[in-house]
Amino acid sequence: MSHQGARGRSPLQEAWRRFRKDRTAVFFLVVFCLFALTAVSAQFVELLQGSPFTYEMTLAEQGISAFEETSHPPSTAHWQAWWGTTAAGKSVLLRTFHGTKVAFVVGTCGAGLSALIGVTLGLFSGFLGGWVDAVVQYIYSTLASIPYLLLILALAFLIRQGPISAAYNSLAFSEYMSLGLFNIVLVIGATSWVTLCRLVRAEVKKVRELEYVQAARALGFSNPRILFRHVLPNVFHLVIINFSLTFVTAIKSEVILTFLGVGVDKEPSWGQMIADAKSELMRGIWWPLLASGGALFLLALAVNYVGDALRDSLDPRLKDG
Amino acid sequence: MINFLIRRALYAIPVLLGVALITLLLFNVAGGDPVAIKLGKNPSPAEVEALRMELGLDQPLLWQYVDFLRQVVTLEFGTSWTDNTPVREIFWRGVGPTLSLSLPAFTLGSLLAITISLLVAFYRGSVLDRITTLGAIAGISVSSLVYILVGQWLLADQWKLFPIWGYEYGAGAIYFLALPIIIWILLSVGTDVRYYRTVALEEINRDYVRTARSKGLGEQQILFRHVLRNCAVPIITRMTIAIPFLITGSFLMEIFFGIPGLGSTLYTAITSSDLPVVKAFTMLGAVLYVLFNILADVLYAVFDPRIRL
Repeated sequence: MSHQGARGRSPLQEAWRRFRKDRTAVFFLVVFCLFALTAVSAQFVELLQGSPFTYEMTLAEQGISAFEETSHPPSTAHWQAWWGTTAAGKSVLLRTFHGTKVAFVVGTCGAGLSALIGVTLGLFSGFLGGWVDAVVQYIYSTLASIPYLLLILALAFLIRQGPISAAYNSLAFSEYMSLGLFNIVLVIGATSWVTLCRLVRAEVKKVRELEYVQAARALGFSNPRILFRHVLPNVFHLVIINFSLTFVTAIKSEVILTFLGVGVDKEPSWGQMIADAKSELMRGIWWPLLASGGALFLLALAVNYVGDALRDSLDPRLKDG
Repeated sequence: MINFLIRRALYAIPVLLGVALITLLLFNVAGGDPVAIKLGKNPSPAEVEALRMELGLDQPLLWQYVDFLRQVVTLEFGTSWTDNTPVREIFWRGVGPTLSLSLPAFTLGSLLAITISLLVAFYRGSVLDRITTLGAIAGISVSSLVYILVGQWLLADQWKLFPIWGYEYGAGAIYFLALPIIIWILLSVGTDVRYYRTVALEEINRDYVRTARSKGLGEQQILFRHVLRNCAVPIITRMTIAIPFLITGSFLMEIFFGIPGLGSTLYTAITSSDLPVVKAFTMLGAVLYVLFNILADVLYAVFDPRIRL
């Protein structure tokens, strides 16, 4: 069945038409796509290269003359030193490049997991009501009452030492995603689904009573069919908007978790570079912070702006314009 | 109202029971072995056994849970495992520094954000509005660690305007707190402006504003006499919900600026598996969270006559 509206445009086409009008939003969408491209190419380059990765070696180790095992400000002497070198003499450019991949894994997987949990629980809770609703509400009220710091730190420790780390080692993708990274994704997924769940639950409760859902029920459609074909598409704008918010939360949380020593450890990430900057700044080495903090800022800004524009263009109440 | 309060209070009980259970479980499975931490390296087996009995760790988990609940009800959390100070004393020592950072920062930050939001809502659609909206979105896109690092480096290390690290009890605290307060405001103002601007705009588009305008009232009068009053409800609720977090404190700020508050205390307790402190602080946080959420709902009903509990 097609979703053609009366004016011959689907709701998505309609939303895109509205989105396109905001030139800044389109610009930031392009910025986001460039970051995504960078992340994919970082993964691709490393797959081709294999370890030891260049980003882990100092410039001196690679035999690039004129560079010692200390920090260098940005220079044009060698492409790896364009953005300077870290306190240990490693290329800031390459580490930021790899950090983009880490940020995307954290952002998409973390926000994806959180969306999956939030939507599933929200849908069932709102649609079925009764004891399912009571249980879901209980779970998120309890989770929200635990101090966030305790929750993330305890979860991070738990995942690191407990049976989850053993399960992780047997996963097919454990070679591509370090334990620290996996850890962050799980922690973010487990802690940040509450907002979306609440929103979806409230919206489903509303949608459930609308005529078209009652019509579907009168036609004898099964619950799963009504839920996935008729209710889900009507709350999906919440998912998209919330995904962009959680994406930013995730890459920002990576910085804090890594600073606290329970985040990314086996590979360079923006969080690690920012955490390292604590000692580097006092020695006057500001370029690693500028590169990593700047990259994070640009990506977060792009996602935040696009998210705002999506919220406006996906809002079904704004049909004009 | 009374019915509502009773219902909410009854509902809070299973939530708090759940929080207590999760805290205990997370800690028993995730934390390091407290006995090993307390006794250091190479303790004798007899010592280990004696300490396990003393701490109640030889008991089954269910019994530990019951014991934990007893502690919560009697507010008697025992002493810290790391230095044997009573938990109560640790709390009273930390709450002063935490509040002296969080209260002024939160109050000033909220006032600033509300003022900016009303102003921007007044000049909605103008260049000022556009710049502020962009500035707010840029502000929330910066990592909080970057704010702290750059602020500390630039204002304290380079320009020597503030001390980098430390704390002093009494009036001298302001000398150490000024910089963290400034950074806190910078950190929060973006999110707050975005929220309050939405609130103000929603209010401005309502019917009573149109009525007031058609009655011939000036924009200024509409904004401050009518709109601000109606915005009070979401403003008060948002601020009420934030209070528990002001008491438990910002651990990042406290760690970075060496403020001996509750946030940094909890952080140290978690990393050193100091279970009595963690249990007490977690329950405190949870109770405050639940309590202030109920209070927010009550205030909502008090200030907005359309809402009945």
